[in-house]
Amino acid sequence: MGEAIGMEARAVSDIPTGKVGMWWFLASEIMVFGGLMGCYVLLRLASAGWAETAAHVSLPLASVNTLVLLTSSLTMVLAFAAVEQRDRRGARLFLSLTVLLGLTFLGIKAYEYSTELAKGFTPLAGLFWSFYYAMTGLHALHVLGGVSVNFMLLLMALGGRLWPNVQHRVELAGLYWHFVDIVWIFLFPLIYMT
Amino acid sequence: MATGERVHPNYVAVWGWLVALLIVGVGSASLPFPKAASLVVIFGAAVAKALLVAANYMHLRFEPRLIYAIAIAPIVLFVSLTLLLVPDIVFGH
Repeated sequence: MGEAIGMEARAVSDIPTGKVGMWWFLASEIMVFGGLMGCYVLLRLASAGWAETAAHVSLPLASVNTLVLLTSSLTMVLAFAAVEQRDRRGARLFLSLTVLLGLTFLGIKAYEYSTELAKGFTPLAGLFWSFYYAMTGLHALHVLGGVSVNFMLLLMALGGRLWPNVQHRVELAGLYWHFVDIVWIFLFPLIYMT
Repeated sequence: MATGERVHPNYVAVWGWLVALLIVGVGSASLPFPKAASLVVIFGAAVAKALLVAANYMHLRFEPRLIYAIAIAPIVLFVSLTLLLVPDIVFGH
């Protein structure tokens, strides 16, 4: 079983150690983002005028970005399925698409930031904008990290000699990538639709 | 569960549902619906999307209970913390 996709079943619970470790890491990240979102919700409920301030963010751009990230989750899980089926070509294709979509998300986010900063909506412009840049900025850093890891996996997949190292790592990288997607699924309505 | 025996969901169909929920949420925010109803639809769609991704893309529905426990515990913690602070932060002014 272990060598099927290069994953070692080193674990007390029969769950591969890497997978348990990744879920522990994601649990800590849930606390980070959950804490930020909880603070945002509390302060927003306690303060007047946030809705008017939030009207300056771009719902159309964020909607496109949400579609981009949801699609990147699809390509990431298809890459994992390809790895399980030993489809190297499929794995390379879907990893490439995931990296491209991640970069697209970051590009759109950068354009959004530049537009808002040009209008004077800096992180010091008010409590809403402080939260906006903190939450979306932290999320964007996580996306950048995920893109970097996925790119390294793509390089490993392209180099046939390194193929055995790719397999279980794609699953673990996928867990992280889907988590980043889920965070955005909640950030999007909190910031852009309320 | 042995990874080689995993039953793969229809990932593209799940993506279709995710896109549909995205359209529902954005539509609800954009159209002149009552605020309360709109918020229910928007965040209901968000929760549904998150569950679809977690269950199908992260394969959580195929994982053992230990993984569930690791994933759910911090959610319970931060939601509880937020709710406990509501009387002080929201109504305390």
